[in-house]
Amino acid sequence: MATTTSLDTSSITYGHTGPVLKLENVAIAYKVRGGEIEAVQNVSFEINRGESHGLVGESGCGKSTVAWAVVNFLGANGYVKRGSIRFLGRELTGRSGEDLRRLRGDQIAMVYQDPMQALNPSLRLGDQLKEVLTVHRGMADAEAARRSIEMLERVYMPDAADVMRRFPHQISGGQQQRVVIAMALLNNPALLIMDEPTTALDVTVEAAVLDLIADLRREFDTAIMYITHNLGVVARVCSKVGVMYAGEMVERGLVEQIFKRPQHPYTQGLMRCVPKLGADKASSMLYPIRGRVPPPHSRPIGCVFGPRCDYAQERCRMERPALRTMPNGVQVRCHFAEDIDPSQWQPHEDVELPTLREVVASEPILEVQHLKKYYEVSGSTIKDILGLRPKSYVKAVEDATFTVQKGRTLGVVGESGCGKSTLIKTIIGLEDSTDGKAEFMGFDITGNIASRDIKLIQELQMVFQNPDSTMNPSYTVGQQIGRPMVRFKTVPKKQVRDEVIKILQAMRLGETYYDRLPRQLSGGEKQRVGIARALASHPNLVLCDEPVSALDVSVQAAILNLLLDAQSKLGTTMVFIAHDLSVVRFFSDDVAVMYLGQIMEIGPAEAIYAPPYHPYTEALLSAVPIPDPTAAQKHIRLEGSVPSALNPPSGCRFHTRCPQRHFAPEGGAVCATQIPPWQETDNGHKIFCHIPLETLRTFDPVISHKEKD
Amino acid sequence: MTVAQPALGASKRPSRLRKLWDTLSVVLNSRIGTVGLAIVVFWVVIALLSLFWTPYPPNSSLFVQNLPPNLTNVLGTDHLGRDLASRLMQGTQVILLKTRLPGDTHVAIPGGVALWGVFGSLFLGAILGLNAGYRGGWWDQVIMQVLDALIAFPVIVLYLVIIAALGQGDLVVIFAITITGAPGVARLVRSLALDIKTRDYIRAAETRGESLAYIMYREILPNARGPLLVDAMLRVGYAIFAIGTLGFLGLGLPPPDPDWGNMVNEARRNIFLNQWAVIFPSLAIASLVVGLNLFADGLREEITRYQK
Amino acid sequence: MARFIIRSILSTIITMLLVSFALFFLLEVGSGDVTVKILGIESTPEQRASYRAQLGLDAPPLQRYFDWLIGNDFRAEKLVGYPLVSIKNQQTKEEEWWANVDGQLTRWQMQKGQLLALRRQPDGSRTKHMVSGGWQTAKNGQEFFWGVDTDNRAVKWVRGAGETVWVRTKAGFRKEGDGPRQYIPLRKGLLRGDAGQSLQTGRPVAVTLIPRVRNTLVLAGVAFLFIMPLALFFGIMAGINEGKPLDRVISILGLGATATPEFVSGIFLILIFGIWLRVLPAVALFTSADAIFSNPKLLALPVMTLALVELGYVSRMTRASMVEVMSAPYIRTAIIKGMPYRRVVFKHALRNALMAPITVIMLHVNWLVGGVVVVEAIFGYPGLGKYIYDSAIFGDPNAVEAAAMLTVTIAISTRLVGDLAYTFLNPRIRYS
Repeated sequence: MATTTSLDTSSITYGHTGPVLKLENVAIAYKVRGGEIEAVQNVSFEINRGESHGLVGESGCGKSTVAWAVVNFLGANGYVKRGSIRFLGRELTGRSGEDLRRLRGDQIAMVYQDPMQALNPSLRLGDQLKEVLTVHRGMADAEAARRSIEMLERVYMPDAADVMRRFPHQISGGQQQRVVIAMALLNNPALLIMDEPTTALDVTVEAAVLDLIADLRREFDTAIMYITHNLGVVARVCSKVGVMYAGEMVERGLVEQIFKRPQHPYTQGLMRCVPKLGADKASSMLYPIRGRVPPPHSRPIGCVFGPRCDYAQERCRMERPALRTMPNGVQVRCHFAEDIDPSQWQPHEDVELPTLREVVASEPILEVQHLKKYYEVSGSTIKDILGLRPKSYVKAVEDATFTVQKGRTLGVVGESGCGKSTLIKTIIGLEDSTDGKAEFMGFDITGNIASRDIKLIQELQMVFQNPDSTMNPSYTVGQQIGRPMVRFKTVPKKQVRDEVIKILQAMRLGETYYDRLPRQLSGGEKQRVGIARALASHPNLVLCDEPVSALDVSVQAAILNLLLDAQSKLGTTMVFIAHDLSVVRFFSDDVAVMYLGQIMEIGPAEAIYAPPYHPYTEALLSAVPIPDPTAAQKHIRLEGSVPSALNPPSGCRFHTRCPQRHFAPEGGAVCATQIPPWQETDNGHKIFCHIPLETLRTFDPVISHKEKD
Repeated sequence: MTVAQPALGASKRPSRLRKLWDTLSVVLNSRIGTVGLAIVVFWVVIALLSLFWTPYPPNSSLFVQNLPPNLTNVLGTDHLGRDLASRLMQGTQVILLKTRLPGDTHVAIPGGVALWGVFGSLFLGAILGLNAGYRGGWWDQVIMQVLDALIAFPVIVLYLVIIAALGQGDLVVIFAITITGAPGVARLVRSLALDIKTRDYIRAAETRGESLAYIMYREILPNARGPLLVDAMLRVGYAIFAIGTLGFLGLGLPPPDPDWGNMVNEARRNIFLNQWAVIFPSLAIASLVVGLNLFADGLREEITRYQK
Repeated sequence: MARFIIRSILSTIITMLLVSFALFFLLEVGSGDVTVKILGIESTPEQRASYRAQLGLDAPPLQRYFDWLIGNDFRAEKLVGYPLVSIKNQQTKEEEWWANVDGQLTRWQMQKGQLLALRRQPDGSRTKHMVSGGWQTAKNGQEFFWGVDTDNRAVKWVRGAGETVWVRTKAGFRKEGDGPRQYIPLRKGLLRGDAGQSLQTGRPVAVTLIPRVRNTLVLAGVAFLFIMPLALFFGIMAGINEGKPLDRVISILGLGATATPEFVSGIFLILIFGIWLRVLPAVALFTSADAIFSNPKLLALPVMTLALVELGYVSRMTRASMVEVMSAPYIRTAIIKGMPYRRVVFKHALRNALMAPITVIMLHVNWLVGGVVVVEAIFGYPGLGKYIYDSAIFGDPNAVEAAAMLTVTIAISTRLVGDLAYTFLNPRIRYS
């Protein structure tokens, strides 16, 4: 960045040398009907200038609550019950609303998870940016506009002056997040709170935003409080991290230390839940943490993690441990932190682990050739309404060709809008296909469900993404699992109940779940029911649409294990969609990478994750945040945003953003004009690219490990 | 409502009584809901009581005309010397408890005009709304266009038109309430269906190859019942409001049963002499409508809180 | 945006057509025999049939619908063979139909088997002439003549085969021979401003309607001007103070106001202001259609009654919308940006919060119009609502249809305005 910025830094109170933010024994409570709930207890930490402090934990652990408490935005019924929050040496709790208002947006700024929601839909972005300066600094409008544009350029926003005149819905999600970040930085705040700022973004966009945050941290000398559930993100942007569990901070220290040697059993458990990028199901195992996070009103008297801890002893049940500083400077809330050796750990007998069966390559069960799915779109001009212009189509899936062999799993990865969901909707028959061939067990499946035989419908079932919407809230678990059996008449009516209970037990839910309603279940349990319902009619092919992406990591591990177990027992074939490349790698035998409706690369999983790569796959892999600070990752970032599927680029659809295009023949000119060839390496690995295989083979692997010290 | 459960033999479900109690206890959690429920229950009890007992025969002129409230006639008498309290009590029946069929047979079916009218609009509106919302496309266009035409009528004008065309009578009023209420219900159900149909469990039903009817009536409709229940409560209020207005205009429920609106209308001619005969039936209508509104508000508050 | 606007306008037109269709069929086809109402139940079936034919009620319903909507003079013109014109009679102020026979305005009359032509002179008087030519011959050899009679109908006489008809005169019912065989009562149709004749008064509906509509627009307009600022103010105050005492008070008063029917609140207002306080006339006598202009005090109670119900409703809507917006994430953003509370409310919340009520308010204009009916009936206010009410009680189809169409037009056009306002307020539609 060559642009010089003239940012006002006077707002930081110089002369204060201590931490920017210091929390001591903070407890936050919410008043509810008939009492109050302490959502957060005993949280202490501090953040210094230029430091990026992560707060990680699963949902409901209280990490966002801490952030809201700092900005005093706990709602009408929340308040800081105990402890102190000091900002630049000044106590924040108990301050008047007006004092806090002056701090907010000026010295303390915040960035949120969903940028679209965070921006006012009916105000121009320029107005939303400028007011931060005009209100807090009394700056003139023209000056504020100039500064805002500078700041937008500073966060690498293209056409910054133009963006000022736009409304939020007119720019992409990644750009919206840049605007929110620019807004937060306008007054050069001493403290920047980021609450899952990249969770709603695609992996390549996320990578760019994370780069931006890392840059800003270096240049602005701001203290950052970074809240996330993603260990990989912490490893990438944070210097220190605090791990939260059930409203308490259980471990805190330098990121390198924590990742290298986690000392709290919970932190250790978290690390064992997450698949490493490149690990597969044959060579590694995911170990979910048994049990559930206790709700705030029924936390144990002793250690909050005690009931789920493999090392728990009598003392853990009776006495709540304090946060202790260990010899390496890491603070741990565990009585026995010194005695625990993670390398000696054995999974508890309650932990569900799949038994895997070697799948031998067999006959193909699903064969798809040149499948296309176009959606007609109606334009919004007068000409379009009158039908004067040719109809335009969104080319959601273009020319998909692949086969899935019986008993194997095909993983499909790609960013949002790449057509992976449309692809499986077409296969399962929720959509007609536009063109091409698709056969399942020898039957044509190009038509939608209405044109299919009930026996065929029974063989194809689906597992859905969102646990909160996968079950009909009006029916019990038993009714919903039993419905496919009744519908497909796979089980005589009288035996439905027994059969449902059998499946429930296979899902490790037990008979007591039969009469429960969905609202009485946790997210993971709902997802298990969703899987049970899909498997109830004993289908040959199960399509999984991001079945674990809405779940916390420990639950995710359990669900993945469950799916693997079911697959090996029933011999089910699966198509597995996910945006998380580690999960897909772990779960799948074969992987297809999609971009803008087009399969770019397909082949055995291990071949996809190692050179030769398709340039897009390479970019995806280098964007994934990996939970290992010692790993070195190639730095490849894609320019611009995904083009519209209404009018995809000619030739290779990726050519407008391809970072390796210059390796292609004619310096890449052919990429824009000709459709690339399918280049096959060996054992079915195919790459859709103009760059010769020999060149692609010379690329380094994306991830390499630094020498361990 | 057509909420049926899938045929599953031995499953033990919480009894209906238990479910009713659950719903009620939800309302009792809200102060305004409790007040509303109390008012509604008061009038229902009055209605049931009036079936067996009223202080005096409601249609006989036994007393001096235009008496203020006194010990004999707790609410006074009207311009014909009839007991106001008895007439008010009897007036609840046609609204809440019975619908008189046409002809001289004096046959009545259970369920008041307001209730049947609201049931009619719920039934018709739910069917239209589900088809418009779930099927979309041309179904949606056509249904919504027709409903738009109905909504375009000022409600009272539509009542007047229907009564001008079909004459007076309990069934005509029910028909009018159905027709005027159905578009609103349909819009509500449509918007709910549009939301619910994006849920994964609807995808699951579709991937099982379930019929359109199954998806609409078994998968979507049961999940719309909370908002529909709230809407129904409000609609009963509107219906009572409308019946009162029609009665006031002299177009409402035919005699012999007293009609609150008509009582106000008759009494206002003597308003200089006797204000009580105007005030009491007015208060009766307003209180019942307010009660239903409060009840609905409480229900809605609790249902949304529940969902959070 | 073009798409949105075109859609709104198209949909409005279709809606109006559907409404007219529904109205016409409900009232003309769905209701009973109007001739019973006009001629009385003692009339004979024969008399009724003859009268029905004279009113053109024997034509197929669909044709009557189009006659009513777009008129039938062009259809009659083809039969008569001359252009038909309608001119105002200077004495009665009513429109009269004449055939323009080569520049000479003409009507016809049958007297004792002899066809007479009445020619209109420039001074308005008419001269009688014998007619011999102009008869046409049908395939079966019958001779017939299409002309305009003196009752504004295109009629078909058949030579030597006069129908026996019952003619309604001021004196009573009279039997006449030589009557026409077929009648087409001439009308321009609703779309061209001719709503037909009122059964009740025998005068054109349009003539009576115009001052009525004006009065109603005054009443509704004044009420609207009172309601909107007040309701928005109360709604916003309640919305930003959600759960606080001010909100409770406004909400409960608003609920009370909406739940009280107009006739109840109207009578209470009469009681309070007219009988107990005696500051306003308790019984307003509208001596003429223009009374409200000479004595505006007469407007006070009707406007107050109308305002009360709507005030409650609109303020509740605004409150709900405000509460929803105030809990939106972008309001959270504004607060955490350190914006002063007033700025959060006025700059960030208000615009978004007003979007929903504007469409609802405009949708709600038909409630206002509905309320007008009741209010006008209570106060005897000579407006459109009272007109519909009276016509509905009498069962006067032309009057009810025209007046109902007018109310629907008012309601729909305000809704269209609301839709367009929403389009301009909401940048997500404006810039898409």
